[in-house]
Amino acid sequence: MSDTRLLDQGIAPLRFARGWHCLGLATDFGDGKPHAIEGFGTKLVVWQDSQGELNVLDGYCRHMGGDLTQGEVKGDQIACPFHDWRWGGDGKCKQIPYARRVPLRARTQRYETAVRNGQLLIWNDPEGSAADHDLLPPELPDVMTEKYTPWSWHVRQINGSHCRELIDNVADMAHFYYVHFAFPTSFRNVFDGNTATQFMESKGRPDMSGGYGDEDSMLKSVATYYGPSYMINWLEVDYKGFVTEVILINCHIPTGPESFTLQYGISVRKPEGLDEKTVNYIAEKYTESFGDGFLQDVAIWENKVAVQNPLLCEEDGPVYQLRRWYEQFYVDVADVKPEMVDRFEFEVDTTKANEYWHAEVAENLAKMAAETAETPADA
Amino acid sequence: MSSFVPARAETLEDQRLYTEARLVDVACLDCLATVRVKKNSDHQTSLQWSTEARANCQEFARQDPGTGRRDVHKPCSRMMASIDDAVRAGDVPIGALDGY
Repeated sequence: MSDTRLLDQGIAPLRFARGWHCLGLATDFGDGKPHAIEGFGTKLVVWQDSQGELNVLDGYCRHMGGDLTQGEVKGDQIACPFHDWRWGGDGKCKQIPYARRVPLRARTQRYETAVRNGQLLIWNDPEGSAADHDLLPPELPDVMTEKYTPWSWHVRQINGSHCRELIDNVADMAHFYYVHFAFPTSFRNVFDGNTATQFMESKGRPDMSGGYGDEDSMLKSVATYYGPSYMINWLEVDYKGFVTEVILINCHIPTGPESFTLQYGISVRKPEGLDEKTVNYIAEKYTESFGDGFLQDVAIWENKVAVQNPLLCEEDGPVYQLRRWYEQFYVDVADVKPEMVDRFEFEVDTTKANEYWHAEVAENLAKMAAETAETPADA
Repeated sequence: MSSFVPARAETLEDQRLYTEARLVDVACLDCLATVRVKKNSDHQTSLQWSTEARANCQEFARQDPGTGRRDVHKPCSRMMASIDDAVRAGDVPIGALDGY
């Protein structure tokens, strides 16, 4: 039939996004040993030198391809385990202990680094531009002080999905009900320059637990991507009238055309007047519930296909405009079109959706009550 | 250099429908900014700024560009009022066409 809707799976780009990417907590790289991070279709080596600077190079030695992440930090340099070639943080080979001189062309791929909010970020650009420090995500006031719990940091490898699937969530109102078990009561997007923001207010579903499900839990969320891969999510969680401020960092590193490493970190503003043990308990609970939230998404991503031509209904968010925004990171700077960066605002009408959802939940609760009533109390 | 490439020609038409179709010009009552607006219902609004309109907006110009604040993306209240006015005057049709 000619009017059958076909899925256009499209062709994913061969390149990786231009911009800042977070590799993890800076302190995790500070032990004087080389660390391996999969990223941008290769393996990166990360190490701290004697000045305390973090350095990031392509993980494979330009001599014979030895794996630098299995080498050793000698002085300020990373030494290859194969022939002891010594590479500096500037990407130049500094020394070959058995050679009269170092070849002039001994330069490898280096990534410029920055530390923000206690996390190590690196600049990736297929065009090889110098890092743009104006595009770094903002420093979060008071985080990393005694006012907040230390980052609870988690890493998860995702296979079989392009990282754009993760970005799509920014504009996806309805999945919060089906995947995360919450009623999104208010939903708005703003895309502007290199940022994309989602404003959401939601209430947990009383017929579900896990993820955001819990009828006593209300959420006010502002989540902004600063560039292609680093999101700060400011959350105000109201649990039975007790409000907690949570900061969630959601970031990723693309590892291949259909895989990425998801990293997320949670820091909770310590509620005043509570003892250390209770504060830690609350922080752990939120870490667990937002962690569960990601796992709910992962189950969808790992089984879905890519769609270049999503079919939308009136209740959906601006997926096409979001992808138009995201495309700016995949074209040369000279090819960034005004519509990719021009401000766009979208308010989703959640009224009808919530009417249907409340009716469905009421039905589910009635069914559950009937099942409980049928089961003899002494069973 | 191309990025995400559709495999079907019809996808380009979809992209046009969802991002460009039915947008109506609305001029700010207070400054020179003109934006493009679409309303699929009373509560739904799409608001497309251009580089020029963004530069003309007085309220955005006054906003503190400091980073790390949560309200940096709040809408321009004057533009929102201008849109409400245009809707009341019947200049912005309300209702969707097959999801767009």
